[in-house]
Amino acid sequence: MAGIIDVPKPRVNCSMLSQYTNRPVCFVGCVEKVHPTGKTFTVSDGDGKVATVELNDPLEEELSGVVELIGMVSNKGGLTATTYTMLREDKGIPFDLELYNEALKVVHDFPQHYPFEVTSSG
Amino acid sequence: MTQLTEGAIEILSNGSGVNDAVLQLVNIRKIEGGSGPARFRVMMSDGLHTLSSFMLSTQLNCMAEDNQLAPNCICILKRHVTNNLKDGRRVVIILEIEVIKSADEVDGKIGDPTPYTEGNAKVQQAAPNTEPRAPLLQQNRNEAMNRGSNRDFGKKAPSAVPSTPGGSSKIVPIASLNPYQSKWTIRARVTNKGSIRTWSNSRGDGKLFSMELVDESGEIRVTGFNQEVDKFYTLAEVGKVYYISKASLKIANKQYTSVKNDYEMTLNGESTLIPCEDSGDVPMVQCEFVSIGDLESKEKDAVVDVIGVCKKVDEVTRLTTKSNKEVSKRTLDLMDMSAKLVTVTLWGEEAEKFDGSGQPVVAIKGAKVSDYGGRSLSASFSSTVMINPDIPEAYKLRGWYDKEGHAVDGQSLTEAKGGGGGNTNWKTLSDVKTEHLGHGDKADYYTCIATIVYLRKENCMYQACPTQDCNKKVVDQQNGMFRCEKCDKEFPNFKYRLILSANIADYGDNQWVTCFQESAEAILGQNAAYLGQLKDSNETAFDEIFQQANFHTFIFRSRVKLETYNDESRIKATVMEVKPVDHKEYCKRLIMNIRKLAAHCRWIKLFCYGKESLLHHLKISCRVDQTGLWSQSRITKHY
Repeated sequence: MAGIIDVPKPRVNCSMLSQYTNRPVCFVGCVEKVHPTGKTFTVSDGDGKVATVELNDPLEEELSGVVELIGMVSNKGGLTATTYTMLREDKGIPFDLELYNEALKVVHDFPQHYPFEVTSSG
Repeated sequence: MTQLTEGAIEILSNGSGVNDAVLQLVNIRKIEGGSGPARFRVMMSDGLHTLSSFMLSTQLNCMAEDNQLAPNCICILKRHVTNNLKDGRRVVIILEIEVIKSADEVDGKIGDPTPYTEGNAKVQQAAPNTEPRAPLLQQNRNEAMNRGSNRDFGKKAPSAVPSTPGGSSKIVPIASLNPYQSKWTIRARVTNKGSIRTWSNSRGDGKLFSMELVDESGEIRVTGFNQEVDKFYTLAEVGKVYYISKASLKIANKQYTSVKNDYEMTLNGESTLIPCEDSGDVPMVQCEFVSIGDLESKEKDAVVDVIGVCKKVDEVTRLTTKSNKEVSKRTLDLMDMSAKLVTVTLWGEEAEKFDGSGQPVVAIKGAKVSDYGGRSLSASFSSTVMINPDIPEAYKLRGWYDKEGHAVDGQSLTEAKGGGGGNTNWKTLSDVKTEHLGHGDKADYYTCIATIVYLRKENCMYQACPTQDCNKKVVDQQNGMFRCEKCDKEFPNFKYRLILSANIADYGDNQWVTCFQESAEAILGQNAAYLGQLKDSNETAFDEIFQQANFHTFIFRSRVKLETYNDESRIKATVMEVKPVDHKEYCKRLIMNIRKLAAHCRWIKLFCYGKESLLHHLKISCRVDQTGLWSQSRITKHY
């Protein structure tokens, strides 16, 4: 777990989570509902599907909009996030989650051409 | 054994006519020369004599090309004219000929004919192929007006020929017209009449109009200039039938017309155009409709006739052409029984008056095929646009559309215009090189996404004439005055203008481009006047602007053309427009291209047995930048 920042993290959407159980992933989605405890919230992906995110430490700020999460996929198909980054509007252009999702599908449909997921030998 | 008409050659050689002479074809050869259609020169025999000065009229060329007219075949000379050349020789133009025995049915040469010589029928041993041929051809072409007899002419005219008003010449079919005879009258319907166009050049001004005539034998394009415009333009009405005589004929310039005739007509001072009342038997319009589904196989710039139901029509838009003229434009979608749609662009008056309400059947004669947006059509000034025309094809189409066609969701050959607008021709810089853009006769235009990698600071500005719209470089008189050669004036000041050389690069290649004023200002982010001021006052700040401008990415629309200076040819690229990258549009386009290419590869994989590894040869490399968007993508095919 210590090395999650250093290992390759495939970009996934909700429908792909189940294939990555107990593996580190990178997830981009839109924040939907934040639990009052601040320790869990839901995110929707470009397909409109929703996933639950759990945090180790409660949120210290108000979370909204599009976030990029890095974490492990739990056995329940949720995400245990280690870090998050809010993707704010860039020069007035909001992040296009649907477009991102389309690009994501291309990456997964042609893995031979997108060798981002370097197999960790061992 | 077929009997040849002995003595016919002698009579023909003397310039007289023979009715239905039976002759044997001895030799036929193609004469290639200049522009226009090929001509065939024929040697004929009547069993006694041979004569080599027969020419096939061009509308019969197909008979020679199909080998119907081959050595030894026996034919009946149905119609001909004899032309006298300046040097006294005669040429017999074959207008109609019928092969009664094909070459393979004939057992070699009949009799022992000898070449006929003018004046006496003496035997001559001179080989026919030693006589000069080229001069004959040349004179033949120059003799536009024939002075020979045409007594047999006009046989094929319609049976119930109305008498020609005030003329002695007979009514002839359009198909038989050629430059070698002048005494003719045709009876034809005006099917299309263009508007009057004017020109103005160093040799003066002028005007012209063109129209198209049709009769049961064919069609022809007619042009009138200046006085003939005044005389005939209002007289000639579309849809009406006229007797036309005494116009000049010349080889047609097929570039501008779809009219199926090797010749075209020019009205002159002697030409007459007389309305004909009894016109029922003259056909309305001749179209050879091409199915919309077949348009994809047509060459760009081909001229075609199409008919379709107008499924959709856009509003008129106005745009300004390069020559600063304002024109109206309207696009519409036509669908036919191939269940394919094509976008047609109408221009000018046609665009303004077009009424697409009620999904009419639209027939366009002479539309030009364009590769804009895949496949589209353009109705130019020589096209005829007919709404619900009174022709069988239109009724058939209407019937089909009302019954089943309206429910068909037709597939369009024309791609919807992307957000970029205009005819963006997306290329990568390596495409520009591998596809040899700019090497053709015309300049090529393309659009690419590229990054500035170097800007040449030296000589990027010049001192230009301060007059508005004059951007000519001024000469520093060294006395505080600046001289403009173009305006022929001296000024106390000048304005700075930019001419910036930039090196732009994408993932695969780089290219030197020249950017003028607006595009250079867009790249540098400063206006020319400020840059000029800075250059003279603060060189550090000036340098800083160039440093800052590096490594910015833009959409470049460029023009490329191979230019030659001192025997050295090099590609010159000039930037027409610089725009910021719309990353969303760009990503969408990349994803679409990848999907298309993948579908294409799957197809190839299916059909290329044993080449499963093909997809592995398709290399796609991509970089994802900080925002998670792709900034660059590369797709290379290796097969």
